[in-house]
Amino acid sequence: MNANAEGQALVRIADLHKSYGPAIKVLRGLDIEMKPGERVVVIGPSGGGKSTLLRVVMGLEEIQGGSVSFAGRPYISVQGGKTQIDTEVRKKIGMVFQHYTLFPHLSVMQNLTLAPCKVNGESRAKATERGRAILARFGLEAKTDAYPSQLSGGQKQRVAIARALMLDPQLMLFDEVTSALDPELVAEVEAVILQLAAQGMPMMMVTHDMWFARNVASRVIFCAGGVVVEDGPPEQVLGNPREDRTREFIERVFHIKG
Amino acid sequence: MELDFSVLWKFTDALALGLWTTARLTLLCIVLGTAIGFLVGLARTSESRLLRVATATYVEFFRGTPVLIQLFWIFFCLPLILGVELSNFASGAIALTLYMGAITSETFRSSLRAVGREQMDACVALGLPRRVQVANVILPQAVLRAAPTLLSNCISLFKESALVSAVGMADLMFIGQNISNNTARPVEVLTAVALIYFVIAFPLTRAVTLIERRMLKKLAA
Amino acid sequence: MDYSLDIGAVTRNLGPLFEGLLVTVELTVAANLIGIVAGFGVALLVLARNPVLRLPAMLFVEFFRCTPAIVQVVWFFYCVPMLFNVFLDPITMGVLALGLNLTAFNAEAYRANIQAVPGEHRDAGIALGLSPAQRVLHIILPQALRASVPVLLTNGIGTFQQSALVAIVGVQDLMYQGKLLATETYRPIETFTVVALFYLAISFPVSQFVGWMERRRGIAAR
Repeated sequence: MNANAEGQALVRIADLHKSYGPAIKVLRGLDIEMKPGERVVVIGPSGGGKSTLLRVVMGLEEIQGGSVSFAGRPYISVQGGKTQIDTEVRKKIGMVFQHYTLFPHLSVMQNLTLAPCKVNGESRAKATERGRAILARFGLEAKTDAYPSQLSGGQKQRVAIARALMLDPQLMLFDEVTSALDPELVAEVEAVILQLAAQGMPMMMVTHDMWFARNVASRVIFCAGGVVVEDGPPEQVLGNPREDRTREFIERVFHIKG
Repeated sequence: MELDFSVLWKFTDALALGLWTTARLTLLCIVLGTAIGFLVGLARTSESRLLRVATATYVEFFRGTPVLIQLFWIFFCLPLILGVELSNFASGAIALTLYMGAITSETFRSSLRAVGREQMDACVALGLPRRVQVANVILPQAVLRAAPTLLSNCISLFKESALVSAVGMADLMFIGQNISNNTARPVEVLTAVALIYFVIAFPLTRAVTLIERRMLKKLAA
Repeated sequence: MDYSLDIGAVTRNLGPLFEGLLVTVELTVAANLIGIVAGFGVALLVLARNPVLRLPAMLFVEFFRCTPAIVQVVWFFYCVPMLFNVFLDPITMGVLALGLNLTAFNAEAYRANIQAVPGEHRDAGIALGLSPAQRVLHIILPQALRASVPVLLTNGIGTFQQSALVAIVGVQDLMYQGKLLATETYRPIETFTVVALFYLAISFPVSQFVGWMERRRGIAAR
């Protein structure tokens, strides 16, 4: 396979199976192919496996079957019952979590420079310079030396996004990044994600905010019961779904029916 | 009865000497004991079952028995086993160091565990190798989280150090008791001794509360 | 080492050790009764708005928490008879000294857990129209008492261990009998090891039980 081939998938998820113990099957043979430049929003009922899907793509979870490839290179697979993860490929993917997960003992700038300096051996001066540029882009230049406990939720989440960008990811994963925020802080985080989208950053995201999903997505996937139920452009999946289960979910979310 | 605290003025030097012994002993055992506690705390999360069982036995033994009997055991039995004389100070220091090691290892262990799963996820998402995860993310947070409890452990040790008087080491308590017996003024002398311990320990317990509040706020992010 | 172990020296003399253990257990149980009950009263005083009630209670708690237990025990045995002209038998004295110490530590545990009941629960009580007394009785106390149980047990077992101190002032507890036996038989290693194991055999199960209780609470709280 040629990674640079035209139409080559950026991420190919094939027949993914994931369960917690024998009883709880979260993903049951899930297939998704994401093309370069796409912005995929995964929606669906809670417990439908959305967040687990993102965590698997990041390589945070053991899986029981299937594989995930990035730019034509399989990097997550199962061999002899054990999950194999190619960490070199994984480095190209960045992830932001619901609960910020900033390192509380490090300042904003130290949070940003830790990975570039320790993983890529970048010089502190150079990493700091890049960090300043990203913070400035996100309107956080005044917070360079602040500690996470001194930031608002929206600021923390923007720092978390900046931290992930420091490693020049080729794909960003956003796992319910605005769910823990007060409503008035959601917009500033969404603005940063839209800014990235405008620059062509491929992303896969789980969100409960359907208006934001419609604004940012180039493609929406409705996941339920551990499989893909519907997959298409946002106008279709959010506006005029073909599948009954999707329609029911969308109607409930938008309160179309009493 | 008549109380006469002026009797104390004659003995300020002796009490100061006793306090100095208490302070030296406490500080020495804090340094050595905390080092042992840190290593044992790590060993208790180790992959090796042998290491886990051995360290757990050590910790449970020292936490499950009176410090007084630990002290007696070291004082009376260790010289017989080793076949060498141990000074009072050495026996006291060994016993209290081992005690401090046991209680601080629990402090380190629980603070290591308190570094949450989400922090580990973030480490993986940033591609941090295991070495960096431990050195730059887990350990600094564990130490910060442990700080207030470690200070409490130090205060406990300071108080427990008074037990060495029971094996004849001339610490503050021992000297206080001697003066009390010689002057037949136990109320004045023993109250003064208690106050000296109090004046040192009380501000430290206030500091623990303050540090705890600050750490929790900082680590809540 | 030039010392051959003779565990028989101890096993032939278990009688006095068991007598000592009985005294130790008596001291512990009685001191715990005082500590559990009086500790709660002192905690309420510490939380009182009136400084005349609050300050002496705070001073009491801090004094016992910030001085060595051995100093407290020795002070109690020497000074109480002189100051108050009362002469009690040594075991009663031991119970009182240990009980007061435990009262201070338990008061602190109760106080912390009463204050840890979230403010929202008080608000909910007000919203439901409960009177201040009803809020304390039906909302605050049940939660605070339940939350205090592990610490009370830990403190209680701490008193069991601290009770060895009364041997120094001549109460014939387990520690005292052990020391006597070690001196009489010249068998310190065997004797002190066995005595230590006696203490461990009681402390360890209780501390494991507390650990189990806290883990269960941790799971329930999630």
